[in-house]
Amino acid sequence: MTQINFTNLGSAAAAEKKRLAGYKAMLMVCTGTGCVSAKAFSLLDTLKEEVSKHDLDKDFLVVGTGCNGFCGQGPILVVQPQGVFYQRLKKTDMTRIVEEHLIGGKPVEDLMHRELSSNEPIHKMDDIPFFSKQKLIALRNKGLVDPENIDSYFARDGYAALKEALEKGSSKGVLAEVKTSALRGRGGGGFPAGVKWASCIAAVDKTGKEPVVVCNADEGDPGAFMDRSIIETDPHTVLEGMCLGAYAIGAKEGFIYIRKEYPLAVTRLEKAISQARDRGLLGDGIMGSDFSFDIIVHRGAGAFVCGESTALMASMEGRAGEPSPKYIHNVESGYKDRPTVLNNVETWANIPVIVEKGGKWFAAIGTGDVSKDPWGGSSGTKVFSLVGNINNTGLVEVPMGITMREIIFDVGGGIPDDREFKAVQTGGPSGGCLPASLLDEPVDFDTLTKAGSMMGSGGMIVMDDHTCMVDVAKYFMEFLKTESCGKCNPCREGTVTLYGILDRITRGEGVKGDIDDLERISRVMEAGSLCQLGATACNPVLSTLRYFREEYDAHINEKRCPGKVCKDLITFTINDECNGCMVCAKRCPTNAISGEKKAKHTIDQNECIKCGICNDVCKYDAVNVE
Amino acid sequence: MISISIDGKTIEVEEGTFLLDAARGAEIPIPTLCHHKALTSDGNCRLCLTEIKVGGKTKMVTACNYPIREKIEASTTSDKVMEFRKDLLTMMLARWPNVSILKTYAKQYGATEPSYKHPDRNEAEDACILCSRCTRACSEVAWENIIGFEGRGSDRHVTMPFGEQYNRCIGCAMCSNVCPTGALKVYDEANNPVDSAQVKKYGAKLGEEMTLLDDDQCKMRRVGTAHLVEIMDTYDLLPTHNYKFGSHEESHKIASPIWLKMLTQNTPDGCWAGCMMSCAKCIEGFELKTGPYKGEKVLVDGPEYETAAGCGSNMGIFDPFAVAEINFYCDTYGIDTISFGTCMAFVMECYENGVIDKDKTGGLELSFGAADNSLEILHQMARGEGFGVTVGQGVRKMKKKFVEEFFADAEFLQDIGMECKGLEYSEYVTKESLAQQGGFALASKGPQHDEAWLIFMDMVNKQIPTFEDKAEALHFFPNFRTWFGLMGLCKLPWNDVEPTNNAEYDEPHKVPGHLEGYYNFYEGVTGKKLDEGKMITMSERVYNFQRVFNLRMGFGTREHDYGPYRAMGPVTDEEYESRAERYDEQLKNVVGQDPAGMSTSDKKAALRKFREEQYDSLVNAVYKRRGWTNNGVPTVEKLKSLGMDMPWLLDVVAKHQE
Repeated sequence: MTQINFTNLGSAAAAEKKRLAGYKAMLMVCTGTGCVSAKAFSLLDTLKEEVSKHDLDKDFLVVGTGCNGFCGQGPILVVQPQGVFYQRLKKTDMTRIVEEHLIGGKPVEDLMHRELSSNEPIHKMDDIPFFSKQKLIALRNKGLVDPENIDSYFARDGYAALKEALEKGSSKGVLAEVKTSALRGRGGGGFPAGVKWASCIAAVDKTGKEPVVVCNADEGDPGAFMDRSIIETDPHTVLEGMCLGAYAIGAKEGFIYIRKEYPLAVTRLEKAISQARDRGLLGDGIMGSDFSFDIIVHRGAGAFVCGESTALMASMEGRAGEPSPKYIHNVESGYKDRPTVLNNVETWANIPVIVEKGGKWFAAIGTGDVSKDPWGGSSGTKVFSLVGNINNTGLVEVPMGITMREIIFDVGGGIPDDREFKAVQTGGPSGGCLPASLLDEPVDFDTLTKAGSMMGSGGMIVMDDHTCMVDVAKYFMEFLKTESCGKCNPCREGTVTLYGILDRITRGEGVKGDIDDLERISRVMEAGSLCQLGATACNPVLSTLRYFREEYDAHINEKRCPGKVCKDLITFTINDECNGCMVCAKRCPTNAISGEKKAKHTIDQNECIKCGICNDVCKYDAVNVE
Repeated sequence: MISISIDGKTIEVEEGTFLLDAARGAEIPIPTLCHHKALTSDGNCRLCLTEIKVGGKTKMVTACNYPIREKIEASTTSDKVMEFRKDLLTMMLARWPNVSILKTYAKQYGATEPSYKHPDRNEAEDACILCSRCTRACSEVAWENIIGFEGRGSDRHVTMPFGEQYNRCIGCAMCSNVCPTGALKVYDEANNPVDSAQVKKYGAKLGEEMTLLDDDQCKMRRVGTAHLVEIMDTYDLLPTHNYKFGSHEESHKIASPIWLKMLTQNTPDGCWAGCMMSCAKCIEGFELKTGPYKGEKVLVDGPEYETAAGCGSNMGIFDPFAVAEINFYCDTYGIDTISFGTCMAFVMECYENGVIDKDKTGGLELSFGAADNSLEILHQMARGEGFGVTVGQGVRKMKKKFVEEFFADAEFLQDIGMECKGLEYSEYVTKESLAQQGGFALASKGPQHDEAWLIFMDMVNKQIPTFEDKAEALHFFPNFRTWFGLMGLCKLPWNDVEPTNNAEYDEPHKVPGHLEGYYNFYEGVTGKKLDEGKMITMSERVYNFQRVFNLRMGFGTREHDYGPYRAMGPVTDEEYESRAERYDEQLKNVVGQDPAGMSTSDKKAALRKFREEQYDSLVNAVYKRRGWTNNGVPTVEKLKSLGMDMPWLLDVVAKHQE
């Protein structure tokens, strides 16, 4: 295996570029976890067979890539460099693509994405609105590299930033660029990475202890998959970022703390690390310099709280993953009491680009003036996982400062089934729900916090008007009460008590004083919890109370659920639109619907379990939910 | 020092002081549930939350673990703090409405039980409030980690592994001692103590002292008794080259920092379950270089101080690996490391003085420091072969053999052969402590320090200056320590950790605070009151019986209470000259003889005469105090006064009465 050094990195990249240029096209099959669950691997095999069968191996290269991002449309195939985008593929489609497109030269239009209003097929991926509004930094290589082949990362100029930094021999230079970039931590806290690194260097000078760098890949928010996708797509960008960070602070050891529920990410990460070691990009004397650094993957057991830095480090040390006070910061005394820089996956993924293109270039993207103070705004881009009641479900990277409306309606394609937008939940389970009135606010760290939510690691759940906000708060509280580690009183008792009250309200047993109790308990949690999980665990309650208080009042005072979700507060009846088609009666799981053919049906309220199937199957809007 | 203000009061504190300690030092109360002075602060109950102003910002911090590192203004009673405490206690009352400490705080802060119901409501008065004091005590105090938390969120509960009674639990009861609600109980009624609460109270007090004080006092829990090597060396008491000297420039090679690196301990190694001192230590994975297990990796149980001194410095060996190897094989063969060390030291001095040579030792060179050959002797001893058989007989029999068969100078061998009543000396140099000379030579079983260890109170602290004082000590301590034997108790926790206020007592050398503890403990177990008088009487019966037994076996008279002169003073010119200043000073100021112009040999003789007379006087005083005749035999009256008037006993002493 050729060891990479300062002189031959360029030629390794050129050789791989040349090899790829020898193909007429590359068939990039998305093998991110989403597409894999839709059988992308078998698709990949079929495509390879088809290409071989037609003796096209010399002309077309089949590559399994990481997450393309447009997860809702998976499985996905992109023909590069032409950029033809195929979606929702089945095994049988492979033959068509090979025969019609590769051999026949005619792209298969009915496998393409279609414009929402006109239903016209869109030929080029870049023309699809989901992609065109995005700005890619952390995800710059998505769908373009083979995550299991380090050479393909070289071909995208990978490790060039590290080479430049090591060649210059200035660790201060790396730190300076990161400081100038004003990059704020993508894990949720938004703490400026440069400031963190500089304090770590100061702590090393003070204590003389060896520092460590840690990558937080313990992504636990329901509906969030930014970090997993980055690792599955482009693991070397994370490794290169960590190498640069380690070089800046003088660390020899690095750890990646990743949850065991991410098997594909773990596999790809370990492969990448072993390839980087084989090529001299990790280990002793990286690229022939005197900088030595290696990375160990530490698998977590999947506790939400282990994403909290002190709990994460306790877990890494072999103790129970529970947080401890941060009066002395991790940069001073973290993993095994050593100065520790902990950043999350997305933060690390940004570092190579910042070092390559310069901190100023990065700082120019985003909001606010960060030239003097990194807290002055939010620079760069942010990756969001866009899920919920939205047309374009997937992973998006957008510049900071973009409005929520642009993300949801332009990139996300709006709300399906012509329903109304009601709220968007950001920041993971302990984030908050923001109403339509805030759709035009810019998305950045400070605006979201001011609005009672937070950036978090980038989860974004869109909800339509068929959503009950009390039920939403209950859903998140159920998650939080199970994931609270139980160490401190406010969080342990607060989450379980809040859940109890919310549950009662959704069952129509809310009483006067409940809202006051919810607020009081939330205040205790906010002021007194040991860690940020506890302190923010009340956000789902507080933000829904702040923007959707009338829904609470309706539940408590009128025993009515405006979102028509809470089963104890709704009834299903059949109106005069019913033409007696019998479909609902046949599908009703409890046989609660009776009536003759071609005559109006009725629902026996004693038998009805309010599953909603009748409403879903009725084509005539004949089911009323009140 | 940093100047801070708490509730408007200005206080100077050291950097790193926790806010709670600063406040309590200034008598400003802050409520706590999970805090305990013997445990690391965990900050989980959050009741001590205090509002501070630091660097222009106001924030809430837990006082118990907030380290003061800069100027702060703290308010323990701001509106925000008071409201927080009230609301927090309200939440807790919803789950635990009847726990006394919660009710007390709730009353204080105006909290009442809320209308909402907690799904895990527990109405018990002794409910567990999950403060983690017990789990921290188990891990930090007992070093055991037997109990811990299981479950997340409100499922969190204290348990043993797999929810089963775990037999590794040593039953030290530290967990129940620190429990603020009484939720955690230790059931140990198998021994049926009369008052188990009193026994536990005493045990808990001892455990707490051990946790809080041992690290600063003797480090028994960290290194065990081996910490004494450097202390003895400093005070010229570390036996070196067969007790010739009390210190050595290489002693640091077998001192506790070295052992600390070699000792491995996954769990505390107490002699029995429940010991909080756990001073036994071991070296795991030690690769042997000699003997039947050569090349194998073994566990070395030790070394303790007397092994390090006896098989180290006293034999002139300053190689910790050799000491550990001797330690292992002595244990394996069932040979006492003190006897082996003292025997070998005697052999080595004989070898260096030409009393024995390679012809006699089977070709083994046995000068001081000969580690490999000493190990060979040890293996021979076990196999019953070669010169090892001679050494294995002990110093007394070697003296006889060397004189009779090798024509050695009997007087010299008597002076340097460190045994009394046939037992080898323990590893302390007693030359400068008259009381300890008696402590060793007067001991019933021979010169073993478990009867009395008086060097420090005599020589360093000068607490027993007169013959009468020393005699009193040689009455009290042998009897007191006999009492430990009678009760089946270890002596080490008595004075290897002392209460912080020990110096305030009249007789600090007795550690009166701990004596009181033993009285309470005895009373808890038996239901009978105990005091110093009763305790000593109890022992005196046994002690006098032992003396009568010695007498019957031919060892119970005055002549057997004299050790070799090496235990009292310098035998050789080399020894005298190495500490000439000290001896000259004594000749001049105490003996009243001007050493100027005297030869070393004359000075030695003069000092010896003086010291031997001193010892005679000490023995007189001790016998008198013990109620014995001037020949060291218990008087009939003494035995009768102890209620020991059995004719078969009196018969033994009758013919020795003067």
